[in-house]
Order: sequence, then C-alpha cells, then structure tokens
Amino acid sequence: MAGPAHPDAMAPRKPGRTRTAPPQTPASWWGSSRIRTYLLFDATGIIYFLVGFLAIGLISDLGNGPIAWHRALERLGNPIYIAFHVLSLAAVIFVAVRFFRLFPKAQPPRIGPVAPPPGPVIHVTLYVVWIGITVLMTAILAGVIF
Amino acid sequence: MRALLLKLEPIIWLLFGQGILIGTMLLTGWILVVGILLPLGIVDPVALSYERAHGLATYWLFGILPIGQLVLAALLVLPLWKGAHHVRSMLIDFGGGERDGFVGSLLYAIALFGSVMAIMAVVRL
Repeated sequence: MAGPAHPDAMAPRKPGRTRTAPPQTPASWWGSSRIRTYLLFDATGIIYFLVGFLAIGLISDLGNGPIAWHRALERLGNPIYIAFHVLSLAAVIFVAVRFFRLFPKAQPPRIGPVAPPPGPVIHVTLYVVWIGITVLMTAILAGVIF
Repeated sequence: MRALLLKLEPIIWLLFGQGILIGTMLLTGWILVVGILLPLGIVDPVALSYERAHGLATYWLFGILPIGQLVLAALLVLPLWKGAHHVRSMLIDFGGGERDGFVGSLLYAIALFGSVMAIMAVVRL
C-alpha cells in the first residue's frame, strides 16, 4: 500500500506572487461593534499612561515632604481630576472584564508537563484575586484596616 | 528600529502583560480611593495624611520585605508599559505599520523614562 502523499506534492515548483495586502482598518470600522470594542480596549492605553504619570507625580510629592503631599492631594480635589479618575476607573474595569475573558482562551494546551486549569476556573480565579486585591487596597488606603 | 523592537519583544510583552494583569488589579483600588473617594470627602483625609501615607509606602513586611515600595513600584511602572503597547497598537490600526519602528520606539522610550522616574520616586521615599 502506498504511503501518504507528500504535503507539498501538488505545490508549484516556484512560489506564486504574493497577493495579500497589508492589513488595514476598514473605513467602516465605526459601524462594527467588534472593531469598536477592540479599538476602545487599545485606547485605554492612553488612560493608563496618564494615570501612571499622575501617580508618579503624586509619589514624588510624597517624597518631597508634607507640604508637597498636601498640595498634591488638594490638586486631586479639582473636578477635572475627579472626572478623569471616574473615567479611569471605568477604563480599568473595562480592561479587567475584557482581559479576564480573553485570558483563559490565550492559554497554551500545556505549560511544560502540566495542562493549565479549565477556562472557567482561570476566569473565576482572576475575578476572585482582582476583587480581593481591590477590597484590600481600598480598605488599607481608606484607613479601615492597618 | 523595528529590528531592535523585535529583539526586545519578549521583554516588552512581559511588561505589557503584567501591566494589564497586575497593573489593573492594583490600579482599581488606588483610583477608587486616591482619585475619587478621598477628593469627594467620602474617605477621611486622615487616612492619607502625610505620616500615614509615608508609613504605608515604606512599610516592611516582617522586617524583610519592603512591600509598600514594591507594590508602589508595580503600580507606577507596569501601567506605563500597558499604555505604551496599546497606544502603539492603536496607531498601527489607524496609521499603518510604516512608521511603527519610530512610533513604537518613542512610546517605549516614554514608558522607560517614566519607569526610571517611578523607581527613583519610590526609592527616595
């Protein structure tokens, strides 16, 4: 009995000219909810950048002593800062919900000799850890514990 | 520049991935208290008085682990890499990949600059 055919047995001797075009965002992207959500996920990067640099400034002020720290906290009371932080909180929650949904799907079939846990287990674990860390940090920063 | 970015891809992806995972987990409580509840007066300002805030930031767990500074370093550094990578991705989606070498390098340079600033700010507490 003949063996299986070579996978390239029917391939042309010379490869043909590539006819693929570089990937582009379609002009109608605004009408597609999937692309909109994907781009919104990317756009949260701007918020992370701004929140990161704002927090760096705040911790620098903490290192500069009590007067600088109190001035920094007073600045945060500006309605523009508060509105920005409300937007940032929404962005962070959006990132968490979307990323935690994607995370189990992105797992390899095996990590070394071990298979990763089932998707739902990973999903629930991420939520438990996230909520746990958030509650703990909120309680510590708000002076409820510690 | 693109060749360099490809070489650095594993490091960039590590920082980006941790920026989403750890950065998001730490930022939620931080933004909630420092950015919203405290300025609105829902949290007592004494909770983040200079003495208490400085004490939390420089707290050593069991006297061996500078947990306050480690958490702060992660909170300040990692979101910058998530931000840089996602802004890069968004600019590729809208502007194509021709300028990606320059734009990507610039964004990661900003994240690197911010990371150095953040670590310096945390170390000098």
